[in-house]
Amino acid sequence: MIELRSTLAGRITLAVLATLILLFLAMPIIVIVVTSFGKDAFGNFPPSSWTLGWYKQLFADGSKWPAALSLSALVASLTTVFSLVLGMTAATALVRSELPLRSAVYGLVLAPLVIPQVVIALGLFLLFEPAAMLGSPIAIALGHTVLAAPIGVMILMATLKGIDERLEDAAASMGAGRLTVWRRVTLPLAAPGLVAAGIFSFITSFDEFFISQFLSSVDTVTLPVKVFNVLQYNVDPSVTAVSAILIAVAVVALALVAVVRKLGGSGKQDGLLLTEPTVGLTAGSETSS
Amino acid sequence: MAVLAPVSGSAAPVPRKKRLGRVLSERRTRFGLLNAAPVVVYLLILFVYPIFSTLMLSLKAENGGFTLHWYADAFRGANLEILLTTLRISAETSLLALVVGFALASAISRLKPLWAGLAMLVVVVPHFISALVRTYGWIILLGDNGVVNNLLTALHFPGAPFQLLYNEIGVVIGTTAVMLPYTVLLLYAVMKGIDRRLLAAAAGMGAGRITIFRRVYVPLVAPGLVNAGVLSFILCLGYYLTPALMGGEKQTMVASLIDEQVMKQNQWNGASALGIILLLLTFAGLLLLRLLKSAGEALRKRGEAS
Repeated sequence: MIELRSTLAGRITLAVLATLILLFLAMPIIVIVVTSFGKDAFGNFPPSSWTLGWYKQLFADGSKWPAALSLSALVASLTTVFSLVLGMTAATALVRSELPLRSAVYGLVLAPLVIPQVVIALGLFLLFEPAAMLGSPIAIALGHTVLAAPIGVMILMATLKGIDERLEDAAASMGAGRLTVWRRVTLPLAAPGLVAAGIFSFITSFDEFFISQFLSSVDTVTLPVKVFNVLQYNVDPSVTAVSAILIAVAVVALALVAVVRKLGGSGKQDGLLLTEPTVGLTAGSETSS
Repeated sequence: MAVLAPVSGSAAPVPRKKRLGRVLSERRTRFGLLNAAPVVVYLLILFVYPIFSTLMLSLKAENGGFTLHWYADAFRGANLEILLTTLRISAETSLLALVVGFALASAISRLKPLWAGLAMLVVVVPHFISALVRTYGWIILLGDNGVVNNLLTALHFPGAPFQLLYNEIGVVIGTTAVMLPYTVLLLYAVMKGIDRRLLAAAAGMGAGRITIFRRVYVPLVAPGLVNAGVLSFILCLGYYLTPALMGGEKQTMVASLIDEQVMKQNQWNGASALGIILLLLTFAGLLLLRLLKSAGEALRKRGEAS
């Protein structure tokens, strides 16, 4: 293969530059994880001595963090369920049927990914405030689903496209009813995609800030909202430990997706994680085209 | 099933087959509508209708009549300044994310697959970690006694330590870090698709490195640059977290203003007008993207024809 030969100096410059930029991306995360184990809460990096104290403090008596954590977990679980139901039906409609106005439905599904979140949050606030539903976990989960469902639909559409439709047809021709086909053929084959869609829905909700901020009440605050309030108004060193936990949740979730994809053998293993982030990106061009 | 069987039978008379086809297709349509219904109904109630009521509220006068008063307010005095600040910071951030993203993506696209995979992992994993948490990381890094300033002081960098937080530098650094994964991924996808033999061919015909970069590489990457630039600009417009936490008073962006008007001043109409303005700016960006895309395609067609 003919290649443009690169000079040694050029290659070194490129490598140094790339390393610096990758550090730029990784440093904020590394610094939080390391600081969360350090004795001096905000100060020196790397810390001079180590402690697990901040983590212990999170769950000490009188701490408000466990309540926020369990609210976030509840909301994220509800969101996951909503998003999977909407995602699976919508993906089936978009991939496996003749749908009138298909592109309009597709555009509608992707729209929440490009519309500014503050606009979505404001609209939801105007919807739930008169209904006196601010602070209700259901309301927050319904709001988060607006952002999570499009991601679920995208992942499940890719999953369904990857399943050979003839397998479903074969089952049907052998006398299986529509429901049986769905339950015994489609669902098992789609399982890795469902797990991935579920996990991404969960972390979308778990990390979501703006909608929660608008739909929270004084006593029901999700974890990210609480972290934000602490960062903005009062200083609580255990916020570093909470942030480290949020990082851990996201990393474990991504690792799970990677494992499930590998077990499911979806055949695009080199792109394990790379398909999802493009979800948000393609949305821009898809809706506009 | 009973309906399916005769289709495979080649003996079936033609008109019957046609009718059957229609019945089948109607069934598939009905099945599709049934499955599309939940998400469509859901988004109509919780996404379209709320935005519509935001629009209505932004046009409603205090006595219930129609007014453009809230929009006039948005383009006056301090509010106008905040709108301009939003546009300025979005422009600075998307430009920086584009330049840095270009450098990183082109470096990664030349790495061996294993290293490229690892590098992309470093790009993608942060993208899935809460932006709030990453912003906090930047606050720790950029503080007066943070890692960056300590390092610069230790290196006797002239002028160090710098004020890197609660000003525009902080906001732009923090927001760029959030937007970077988007630009890198978009540009990387385009760069991977480039036939590098074209560059070699240009070199073979005597073009220098700078010429190749300027006349061959950049035009090939241009669609990705436009996409990434406009998209990160749009995403910045409504961004709240990083400017709110890392900026000073002069870096207040529209999203912060909306938050304040709703939460502190109970000024829903004004907030709605600002929200609709953000929405229109986003639509304008998407429209621009589409126009540039079709313009680019037309240009390419003309190039192929000649």
